[in-house]
Amino acid sequence: MDKNKAVITEGLVKHYPVIKGYRELLLHPVSKKQTTALAGVDLEVNKGECFCLLGPNGAGKTTLIKVFSTLVLPNEGKAFVNGLDVEKDSKKIRGSIGFAISEERSFYWRLTGRQNLEFYAALNNIPRSQRKTKVDEVLALTQLEEAVNLRYNTYSTGMRQMLAFARALLIDSQIIFVDEPTRSLDPQAALRVRRFLKEELVSKQGRTVFWATHNLDEAQQYGDRIAIIAKGKIRVIGTVDRLTDGGEISLQEVYAAAMKKGSV
Amino acid sequence: MFLYKLYSFLKRDVLNAASYKFAFVSSFVGIFLTSATFYFIAKLLSGSQSEALSPYGGDYFSFVIVGVAFSGLLGILQEGLPGIIRSAQMTGILESLLVTQTNIPTILVGSSLYTLAFSSVRTFFHLLLAVAVFGMQLGDINWLGSLLVFLLTALCFLSIGILSASFIMVYKVGNPFGWLFGSVSGLLGGVFFPIAVLPPWIKWLSYALPITYSLEGMRQSLLTSATLAEIMPNIAALAGFGILLFPISLVIFRWAVVKAKRDGSLTHY
Ligand SMILES: Nc1ncnc2c1ncn2[C@@H]1O[C@H](COP(=O)(O)OP(=O)(O)O)[C@@H](O)[C@H]1O
Ligand SMILES: [Mg+2]
Repeated sequence: MDKNKAVITEGLVKHYPVIKGYRELLLHPVSKKQTTALAGVDLEVNKGECFCLLGPNGAGKTTLIKVFSTLVLPNEGKAFVNGLDVEKDSKKIRGSIGFAISEERSFYWRLTGRQNLEFYAALNNIPRSQRKTKVDEVLALTQLEEAVNLRYNTYSTGMRQMLAFARALLIDSQIIFVDEPTRSLDPQAALRVRRFLKEELVSKQGRTVFWATHNLDEAQQYGDRIAIIAKGKIRVIGTVDRLTDGGEISLQEVYAAAMKKGSV
Repeated sequence: MFLYKLYSFLKRDVLNAASYKFAFVSSFVGIFLTSATFYFIAKLLSGSQSEALSPYGGDYFSFVIVGVAFSGLLGILQEGLPGIIRSAQMTGILESLLVTQTNIPTILVGSSLYTLAFSSVRTFFHLLLAVAVFGMQLGDINWLGSLLVFLLTALCFLSIGILSASFIMVYKVGNPFGWLFGSVSGLLGGVFFPIAVLPPWIKWLSYALPITYSLEGMRQSLLTSATLAEIMPNIAALAGFGILLFPISLVIFRWAVVKAKRDGSLTHY
């Protein structure tokens, strides 16, 4: 296993069974209907890079991140995070990655930012004596100090996103997974999030950021490397410079071509 | 660390309980109304005491209040945990818990603590109200006996709650198992009437339900001044259920989590 790789996948395949209601459950208890979310993904992400996974809705971005964070089990192929197998070492992986779940309702709305983080700190084995220091540290990092004692339901969408990063950073992880972090943010809040990921986490702290996005400009500007994914397959991968032939063609064209013709 | 985690769960839920004042007030009003209803039913029956009640002191009101107060615990634990898991699934909280370094049993027990505490308070209040306002007759209370029965009952019901939660997590549809178990327990568990009045061919089913032993043990501890030795058969039966059901329910839940990770059903989709 290459020690300089943050993430490696080999022929990763994920099918989801098509959701059944009661009726279908009774009529076809073993029906094999399914959708394919990942159709053989081969990918390597280097340590310390800002890696953008670019693709349209339904391409398989979220599924891939969930495989890495041990929330979804693959059907075929292998996936390694920090050299650990997602199926065999899931417990160790959970102690060594941060997945910024930005689903707003995954926080407790009537609790303050601090109370939310203290709860997750406990669940992440941070001893009581270090809890306050740790929580203060991630709050300072995400510039939420002023809002710590306000209830989560008073937070703006941008602050909620930053709190999701704070929660992921409670673990001293080398790699952070973020899933469309700027999706519903206004331009200013989005800029703050992008800078935080790139400048603070990657450039300053040397962490790996695995960043799923459907925003071309975002990927172009912030990705050290970009992989374009569609229909569960990586279509192209490389630095912006390489993908665009040093600026000969625009990333838009590369993206459009990747959507159309399948693997390159 | 384990206890600290459990404490964190409890603290979270107490802080987060949106309307606990309202929930308390409304459930206490409900308790008052239930008690009053049974008070009058008992009054109606008071002339025609049944043979079957005599092992419990002969008073229907005391008999039924113990049944109703403790079966409330059953409902809350059985429907409570599946409800909590279901909503955690819808909100993404389940995923946020499962990516932490906390094992599944801790998550389950931790998530149930608040409901358990709340329903215990309710049960206690139910008894208190019945004694203070409606003149319920207690015997010499066997505190140790009632505590043991209570703890083992909670363990059994928690296990059943975990089984229901497993079902809901995987199939994302209403849970016939928990519902059936709850209703059957109401009918056959001796909540409203002594199981002695049931025809023999169905009575054997009562003995397959943990609640039968819980209520039997509770009535002995609270109403008939029984000694610990006299309560012991019921305690032993409950312990048997608990020792069997709890590990089984954890294994099944663990399996359900794996299945949900395969099917992508940890989240609402
Ligand atoms: N939990 C799930 N259950 C069933 N199908 C799913 C689930 N999650 C995703 N899918 C399907 O898998 C495909 C990939 O989805 P997803 O990974 O969410 O893509 P993206 O994040 O790129 O939008 C889509 O066709 C989607 O409908
Ligand atoms: Mg997605």
